Amino acid sequence: MKAEAYQDPSALLKRALFRSLVIGAVAVVIYLFCVEPCQTSLDKAREENVALRDQENEMERDLRGAGQVKSRLAAVTAGRQVYLDGLLEPLLESYAMRAKSLLDPLAADVGLTISNYAEGPVRRLPLPQHQAPQLYARQPIRLTCTGSYATIVSFLLRVEEKMPLVSLQAFSLKTQKDVDNQSALIVLEWPIKGENTAAAKGGVKK
Amino acid sequence: MNAPTLHLNLLRANERLSSSPVRLRVMLPILAVLACVACLVWWGALVGQLMLVKAQNGTMQKDLDDKNVQHGGIRNQMENLRNVQAELDQLTMYVNGRRTYGGLFMHLADVVPEGLQLMALEIPEPPVQNLLPPGAKPGPKVKPLLGPTETTENVTLRIIGRAPLNKPVETLMNALEGSTFTNALVIAKDVPPNLASPRILSFTQEDKASVDGVRQLMFDVEYRCWERRFEK
Repeated sequence: MKAEAYQDPSALLKRALFRSLVIGAVAVVIYLFCVEPCQTSLDKAREENVALRDQENEMERDLRGAGQVKSRLAAVTAGRQVYLDGLLEPLLESYAMRAKSLLDPLAADVGLTISNYAEGPVRRLPLPQHQAPQLYARQPIRLTCTGSYATIVSFLLRVEEKMPLVSLQAFSLKTQKDVDNQSALIVLEWPIKGENTAAAKGGVKK
Repeated sequence: MNAPTLHLNLLRANERLSSSPVRLRVMLPILAVLACVACLVWWGALVGQLMLVKAQNGTMQKDLDDKNVQHGGIRNQMENLRNVQAELDQLTMYVNGRRTYGGLFMHLADVVPEGLQLMALEIPEPPVQNLLPPGAKPGPKVKPLLGPTETTENVTLRIIGRAPLNKPVETLMNALEGSTFTNALVIAKDVPPNLASPRILSFTQEDKASVDGVRQLMFDVEYRCWERRFEK
């Protein structure tokens, strides 16, 4: 230490202050350029860690429930199959043709004459909460038939018994003088496959 | 007195009066160095933690990658289950909305009183479905909904006939209130007229007498049937 310094004690303080400032600046630089970015990286890594842990938990839960999912899928598919068997499939691209092939034997059994089969406008079914790619709709088929009241009713009873998915949508019977030749309009409806939204989306992509 | 190591009184007057025994020019650099060291230690600790967490993440990611193929299969099955369940739900809605009337027509023939002649039986077709999005007005640019928002459909049965007196009509209407018919027909009395069932739409006497010289009463009665509920 030089002798001048003793003569001016404030010079020592100034020097100490300067050193402190320099060291403090270094500390600030370490904080700003090392600690702070490292803290940010650590936060991100922790978030990633939490996300990965959640993903792992979810994955493990899914894997643990795999057997249950498989059995539920089998049960639900079997339940759906019962309904799919009762769907009206087009015959030669015509639902009326298919209906004719199904109903003519029943009508013949009771002695009812069905002179005309016509397709009505398709009616859509309400959508379930989760929208499946395959939707279903209602296809009305209009039957113009002739027979006695008893044969018409017998035909309806047989249809309702043999075809558990067929519903009567509309009915009109106007009595004629000849009781054995009443004319009736019967509108029966079947469930059919409706829009396939997955296919539609695929078509758009193409 | 010339020796450079000789300690003089280095305290300034204000330092001499200070309550702190440690001088500021000593304290400040020490504090600065401590701050610097603290920052370095903090940084070191953070780097250590970061490396640990990153190592954990790497291990977990590797685990996930290993299980991913197996999990993908399960995910597909779960998605498939959701879709099949949704299809089943929609088909169940249809089945729940199914109505049968064969039994009603069969028993109707048994309760028609003598002298009453049924001229027409009618279950009208339901109105056209409203597939417009809520609040939308019909137009070429409006895309129809994939399914109606309304889940119920009203059904009515109209019975038109004639009788020489009103008594047979009353007998028929009383019979239709029996339990054989109420599984298909709604009987609602003492309610506002638009909700009542049956509703007599017309009850008129024919102008001309028939062959047997009796002026027949024409009646037109509408019964509300249980609505079709397309709900799960």
